[in-house]
Amino acid sequence: MRFIRFFLKRLVHSLFVIWGVVTVVFFLRFLTPGDPTTALVSPDAGQDVRDALREELRLDEPIYIQYFEYLTDLMVGDFGNSMDVLDRPVTEWIFSAYLIRSVELALAATFVAVVIAIPLGVISARRRHQPADYSATLFSLFGISTPNFWLGIMLIIIVAVPVGFIPTGNPGPLFYQALGDAVTQGNFGGLWDWLRHIFLPAITLGTYFTALITRLTRSGMLEEIGKPYVKACHAKGLPETLTLYKHVLRNTLIPIITILGLQLGTLIGGAIVTEVVFEWNGLGQLLIDRISSRDWTMIQGIIIVIGVSFVVINTIVDILYAYLDPQVIDQ
Amino acid sequence: MEPLLRVEDLTTRFFTEEGQVNAVEKVSFDVAGGDVFGIVGESGSGKSVTALSLVDLVDSPGRVTDGSVWFRQPEMAERIAEDQPEAVDGEMVDLQQLNSRERRALRGSEFALIFQDPMSSFNPSITVGEQVAEAVEVQKRAKANPRALRSRTQGFGLGKFLTTSMVPTVDYVSDEAHARAVELLDTVGIPDPAARATEYPHQFSGGMLQRAMIAQALATETSVLIADEPTTALDVTIQAQVLQTLAEIQDEHDMTTVLITHNLGVIARMCDQVGVMYAGEFVERGTLEDLFERPTHPYTEGLLGSSPSLDAASQRLQPIEGNVPSLFDEEMDNRCYFADRCPKAMHECLTKPETYDASGSESHSARCYLATQEYDSADALPEGYFDD
Repeated sequence: MRFIRFFLKRLVHSLFVIWGVVTVVFFLRFLTPGDPTTALVSPDAGQDVRDALREELRLDEPIYIQYFEYLTDLMVGDFGNSMDVLDRPVTEWIFSAYLIRSVELALAATFVAVVIAIPLGVISARRRHQPADYSATLFSLFGISTPNFWLGIMLIIIVAVPVGFIPTGNPGPLFYQALGDAVTQGNFGGLWDWLRHIFLPAITLGTYFTALITRLTRSGMLEEIGKPYVKACHAKGLPETLTLYKHVLRNTLIPIITILGLQLGTLIGGAIVTEVVFEWNGLGQLLIDRISSRDWTMIQGIIIVIGVSFVVINTIVDILYAYLDPQVIDQ
Repeated sequence: MEPLLRVEDLTTRFFTEEGQVNAVEKVSFDVAGGDVFGIVGESGSGKSVTALSLVDLVDSPGRVTDGSVWFRQPEMAERIAEDQPEAVDGEMVDLQQLNSRERRALRGSEFALIFQDPMSSFNPSITVGEQVAEAVEVQKRAKANPRALRSRTQGFGLGKFLTTSMVPTVDYVSDEAHARAVELLDTVGIPDPAARATEYPHQFSGGMLQRAMIAQALATETSVLIADEPTTALDVTIQAQVLQTLAEIQDEHDMTTVLITHNLGVIARMCDQVGVMYAGEFVERGTLEDLFERPTHPYTEGLLGSSPSLDAASQRLQPIEGNVPSLFDEEMDNRCYFADRCPKAMHECLTKPETYDASGSESHSARCYLATQEYDSADALPEGYFDD
């Protein structure tokens, strides 16, 4: 019961946040100079052509009318049409392969980070001030301070080019399609294709994240180990591994889950550089593309989708948090 | 009767970056089976470190550097007599000479601890019942297979952790252990124990949680209970209740107890033998009667004078002036550490006194010249001698 109330409260919060995102994104367009007609119409065209286009795009209406029309359309899931490639709905663009590719890449990067970082952090904490710890620290330092574009290019030069079968760019098949092939037809070629395509981008995008989580796990473990309950575990003769994993790691993971959620949101919308380096054709690349043509409805649509995924992920994180840390629900 | 626990010259030092700290200095005492030995002293006198040193739980940079903790454990004595004859004396085993794994195996099976602050001594994200049940389980496994120390840890690594996180039914703690935990919570006076067992530490009050900690200590069915300021973090009224529970359980199970406290009232109520600690040393040791009726060391007198009593309600409490001395090795002079606060400091006190028998009784000793001679005011140190 307490849990359901907690969940509903979070849901209402989320709706307000999404509404806020929509509003800010909508009004931001009036802070940018020019409008889509500047990009669409040739510079020589007369004012009358421009005005006709503005009327067609309904840019001549008062701003509040535009806002409420946009909101009411959004309610039924209509993001409007693209202002660049006319007559094509924004949703058709976003909810095609673009979003899926971005989500896939973000999840793959997170997977890489979690699988490497948490064991590395645990080892680092257990062997504090020993060679293993210093190596992990060095790795984290490297990971945190390496810019994505450089790492991506270096991986292409050092790994992709000599190895050969790892592509230097272009996304492979979509995961769910490849998986479907593997399950229904027993054809694993698609999965392998997917894997070799996503390998380098996932590492590029996940390195910073891996380094961050490694550091957090290490310091979190060390902080927890110093707490009195760990001494109490030792005092009651609990096996060391049990103390470490069941008690210490569990409590260490609670704050890390939050960071994981926040970062996953960033990765979905913020993989722009990595997407451009590997020609990934995800949301980030689409966004960059549309900003240059002042395709307002597209930009709004993409940012709203990124915002919503942030909110959704964080709601999931909050729920997970409540499950992991029983003190949250009562507060 | 041979004691169950015999501590000889236990010395614990902390090697910090600022220098060496002599937290516990040559502490010796015996505890007979079923007795309660109390250690009393001010904050920073080394009481808690003494308790932790007994079970090798002193955190780095601290280390037990010297001394022995003899513990009567005939089975173990027999087992290791051949390999480590120097660690065995009759039925007694010197815990300090055991390897760390054997020593660790004694925690939870022979020694249990109760800590000062129940709120931080329980893991906040695991139910109280589960944590008590863990202690039951440790004891159960140790008993089922006392020799194979590894059996306790067997099959509980990272892999098992991941599976148990996903499949909660697979767990280190068995159902019987859970059931026993509920029984134990009932024993220590927690109402509706089955429901409380599923609650988390933050849903408990301090007193209830301290009871749960007593249940956890009880779960181990150990022979020695070490209680480190078990009532300090509680309200005064709750203190009395928890102390009552502790006394009943101590009585019922005939548990040998080492009780650490700064509260003389607790000492008077619970203990058979008492050690008074000052600056890492025992300054006086004896039976409860020895200390309360015939205090020899001026520090003990001071402690008694600074605690309220009903008989002398009209008198003002006499605080002991000054603070505990620094325990940094380089700052410790070779004199009686209490001399600078002592109302009866004499010129002899500038040389460190030995431990002498006091009041003619064998059990009563004091590290003070006054145990062997009368105070002579002609020999007193001038006022303000230590001021510079």
